[in-house]
Amino acid sequence: MVEKLLEISNLRTYFFTEAGVVKAVDGISVEVNKGKTIGLVGESGSGKSVTAQSVLRIVPRPGRIVDGSIRFAGEDLLSKSENEMRKLRGPQMAIVFQDPTTSLNPVYTVEKQLTDILMLHKDLTKAEASKTALSLLQHVGIQEPEKRLKAYPHELSGGMKQRIAIARALSCEPTLLFADEPTTNLDVTIQAQVLELLKQLQKEYGMTMVMITHDMGIVADMTERVTVLYAGKVMEVADTHTLFTSPKHPYTEALLKAVPSVKQTRALEVIPGNIPNLIEPPTGCVFHPRCKYAKEICVKSEPALEKVENGHDVACHFWRDLKLEGRGR
Amino acid sequence: MPEERGKRGASQWAVAWRRFKRNKSALIGSAIVVFFVAVALLAPYIAPYPARSYLPLYEGDAGSPPSFKHPFGVEDSGIDVFSETIHGTTNDLYVGLAATLITTLIGVAVGAVAGYFKGAISDVLLGLTQVFFVIPVLLLILLFARVFSVLVFRGLGLTLIVLILSFFGWSSIAFIVRGETLRLKEMEFIQAARALGASSYRILFRHIVPNILSPVIVVATLNIAGFILTEVVVSFLGFGDANTSTWGLLLNEGFSFIRTDWWVSLFPGIAVVVCVLGFNVMGDGLSDALNPRLRE
Amino acid sequence: MQAAQDSTQPILEVDSLVKHFDVLERGIIRKKRIGEVHAVDNVSFHIFRGETLGLVGESGCGKTTTGKVILYLEQPSSGSVLFESKNVFEIFENGNQAESKALRRSMQMVFQNPYNSLDPRMTVYDIISEAFTIHKNIPKEQWKDRVYEILRMVNLEEYHAERYPHEFSGGQRQRIAIARALAVDPKFIILDEPVSSLDVSIRAQILNLLVELQHRKHLSYLYISHDLSSVRQISQRVAVMYLGEIVELATAEQLFDKPLHPYTQALISAVPVPDVTHKGIRILLPGEVPSPIDPPQACRFHPRCPYATDVCRQVAPKLEDKLIKNHFVACHHADKFV
Repeated sequence: MVEKLLEISNLRTYFFTEAGVVKAVDGISVEVNKGKTIGLVGESGSGKSVTAQSVLRIVPRPGRIVDGSIRFAGEDLLSKSENEMRKLRGPQMAIVFQDPTTSLNPVYTVEKQLTDILMLHKDLTKAEASKTALSLLQHVGIQEPEKRLKAYPHELSGGMKQRIAIARALSCEPTLLFADEPTTNLDVTIQAQVLELLKQLQKEYGMTMVMITHDMGIVADMTERVTVLYAGKVMEVADTHTLFTSPKHPYTEALLKAVPSVKQTRALEVIPGNIPNLIEPPTGCVFHPRCKYAKEICVKSEPALEKVENGHDVACHFWRDLKLEGRGR
Repeated sequence: MPEERGKRGASQWAVAWRRFKRNKSALIGSAIVVFFVAVALLAPYIAPYPARSYLPLYEGDAGSPPSFKHPFGVEDSGIDVFSETIHGTTNDLYVGLAATLITTLIGVAVGAVAGYFKGAISDVLLGLTQVFFVIPVLLLILLFARVFSVLVFRGLGLTLIVLILSFFGWSSIAFIVRGETLRLKEMEFIQAARALGASSYRILFRHIVPNILSPVIVVATLNIAGFILTEVVVSFLGFGDANTSTWGLLLNEGFSFIRTDWWVSLFPGIAVVVCVLGFNVMGDGLSDALNPRLRE
Repeated sequence: MQAAQDSTQPILEVDSLVKHFDVLERGIIRKKRIGEVHAVDNVSFHIFRGETLGLVGESGCGKTTTGKVILYLEQPSSGSVLFESKNVFEIFENGNQAESKALRRSMQMVFQNPYNSLDPRMTVYDIISEAFTIHKNIPKEQWKDRVYEILRMVNLEEYHAERYPHEFSGGQRQRIAIARALAVDPKFIILDEPVSSLDVSIRAQILNLLVELQHRKHLSYLYISHDLSSVRQISQRVAVMYLGEIVELATAEQLFDKPLHPYTQALISAVPVPDVTHKGIRILLPGEVPSPIDPPQACRFHPRCPYATDVCRQVAPKLEDKLIKNHFVACHHADKFV
C-alpha cells in the first residue's frame, strides 16, 4: 500500500521585497510517498529550497506562503499554529542544509547542539541526552566521537560538520527528511561518503527523504522519483529511470544534454539565455524564452501539468508531438 | 537582468542615492545639515550684528530676554545671542568640515598603504595608527591651547583646534580603511588587475579607494559632528579664543548666569544639539543607503 | 573535443615548482613562524600550444596556488616556469618593465567567483579597456571599437558596455571576466574553476565558449577544477593533484578510463554519474582530506590508500611513465592496475 506522506498542492510562496514581488514558488504541486527518496531538481531560482522551507514553515522574511495547501500524514500544515509546527519539527520532519558552517551554531559545542534538541523533544535528562548524542555521532560514522562531542564546529572539517548536521536532523527520528544540497559544498570524496551515509541511514530509519539538488548525477544515484522545477514551477514529474531515459519536457531534455559526465566525452548542448527574473517572469510557459521548440502558444498560455502515463506528469503544450532524447536506455 | 535595450545602467552611487531619498529621517537630517551650511555661508548677510559686537549695549538692551528685536535675547555684556549663534555656525562648521577633510585624507592614505603593502612600512603605519588612536585628543588641545595661548590670543584658536584634530584624529578612519583594504586585497578583481599588469599605485587608487569610500563617507559625516562637539567643549571650558564667535564660547559665557539669563545657554545649546543630530541622522541614512547589498 | 596541438615545443614549462606558506602566530612585536603549509610541492608539467591541461584535485591540494604562482601573483618558494622559453620568475623579479608587461599580456587568468572578480565600481567598458590603459598598445580612438569587438567575441551586446557588474547574472559576469582576459590578446589563459559557481544550464554555455575561443585564437589553457566531469569535456591531458603533489598525469581518455593511481580511481568513482544505467562501485576513502600543514611522510596518500604497504610509508614514489608511455603516475603499486 503506497501511502502518501506529503502532499503539496498548488503552493505559492512569494517574497515581498523592495524591488518587487519575487514569485519564488508559483503553483508547485508535489507528492511524496512514504519510505521513498524523491528528488527536487532545479537550478537557482527554481524554488526547490523555498518549497522545503514552506513545508517546515521556516520561510524567511520577507517571504510568505500566499496560496495552496500542504498536507503531512493527512494533516493540513498551513492551518497549524507556530507552537504546533514546533512540535513537528524534529520528531516528524527535519532538514539538513547546504552549508554546515552556517547551519551549526559556532558558539556551542557539538554536544550542546545535539542534547538541546534531544532534551526539548524527548523527555531525557542531560546524561541520557549526552549518551544518545554519542551514539548518534557513532551512527553517522564520526571517528573518536567522544572527542568530537566536546569540540566546537570551527575545529572540525566540512565533511564532519555535515555529518553532525545530519546527526542533528536525525536525532529525533523524523519521518521526513529534507536534504537541501547537502553535499554541494563538500569535496568530491567526502561527498561520496555523505551520500552513502544518507542512503544507509534512510534504509535504517525507514525515513522518507526529499533530496534537493541541481546535480543530475546525484538524482540518478539517490532518487526513485524526481520532480523537475524551473523558475518556481513544476516542469516534469516521473520515476527517475523514466525521466532520464524518456523525458517529456524540453527543459529536462536540455538539462540532461548540458550536463557533462565523467564517464564519457561528449559535446555539450547549450541552453541559451539566462534564468528568468522571478519578479517579472516570462508569460505563458516560463521556459519558453530558452526553449528550442517554443511556438506562439507557449508565449501566451501557461501549460497545465498533464498526465503522460501513471506516475509521469509534464507541463508542456507539445509533449505528445516532441521526440525528445534521454540518456541511457 | 539588463536584457532590455533602453534601460540605463546604474552605478552603485546612483542606486545608493535612490535608497537615500526613500529614507525619511535621512532626508530630514540632510535638510538640517543643508540649513546649517547655508546659515554658515550667509552669516555676514543675515546676522543682525557683526561678530562679537557689543552694539546692543549702547542701544540699552544689555541683559534683555528674548524679544522680537533680539530673538535669542542679549547677554549682560551686550552681545546679541541670535547674531552670535549665526556667526558661531560659521566657525563651528569650519572646524568640523576642515578637520574632517584633513583627517579623511590622511586616514585614507595611511590606511590604504598600511593595508595593501606588507613589511616594515605597513607595520610602522599600523603602529602609528594604534598609538595615535589612544592619544586623548581633547586633553592635547587643552594643553596646546594653554601652551600656545599667544597664538590663541592672536585669533588662531580655531586653526589650532583644526590642526590638532587633524594631526591626531585620523586613526579611526585609518583603521576602517586598513580593514577594508585587507579584505579587498584578497578579492579576485584585485588579483585580476595585477594579472593585467596594473601597478600597485594604480590598484590602490583605481580599485581599492573607490571601493572603500562607502564606510569612509559614513564615518566622515559622523566625524563632522564629533569635531564640532570637541570645539564646543574646548571653548566651553574656557580654552578657546574669546574673540572668535563659537557656540562653545556662548555656552561658556552663559554658564554663570544660567539661572537668570537662561537664553544665553539655551539657544546655542539647541543649535549644537540640532546640528550634531542632523549630521548623525544623515550619517545613519548614508550608512543604510551605501550598505553594499547590491546582489538583490 | 580535440584541439590542434603543436607538440614540438611546449608553450609553458613548469619545473619543480614549490610554494610553502608560513603559519604565523601573533607575537608581542612581530609574528612567530610556527609551521609551514606545503601548498605546492615539486610540481612539474608542460602545456603545448593550443592544448588544454586539466588540473584536478580537492580542496587543499594546491591547484589554485599552482595557478597563481605560475602567473607570479604569489611568489614561488623555488622552481621555475618557462613561458615560450623565457624564465617567468626572473623577468618579474628583475623588474624589467617592458618584459614584465609583455608577459602580462601573454598570460592571463579567469577567476572562480564571478561576483568578486569584477570591480563593482567600474563599468564593463572600463573593465575591458583597463588593459589598454595599462599597456598603451592601442590608440585611444580605437578603444571603443575594440571593446565592442571583444564583447561580441564573448556573445555579449554593445550596450552592455555601459552597465555595471551587479546588473548581470553570474554567467554574464563570467563572460565579462573572459572578455577582460582577452583584451590583452593573450596566448595562455589559466582558468580557475570558471564554471563552478554557475548554474548547470549556464555552465555548458561558458565551457563551449571557452573551447570555441581556443580554436579561434589558438589559445592554450590550464583548466583548474574539482569538477571532473567538466575537466573531461575540455581537457586533452589531465593532472591529478593531492596534497601539493601531482600523483597522475595522462591524456583525458587514459586517465578517466584507466586510472593507475588509487587516489584517481577513488576520485573518479566518487563522482555521481547522470545516467540511470550506470552501475559503478563507489570507492569510499576513509577519513578526511588531510591538511597540507603536516602532510604524511613518503607517499602522502598512504594513510587513506587501500593498497598501502610498508614501502609506501617509507619511500616517496616518483612520478614516472615507466608502465605506459606518457602516462605518468606516482605509485609503488601502479603495475597492479595496468
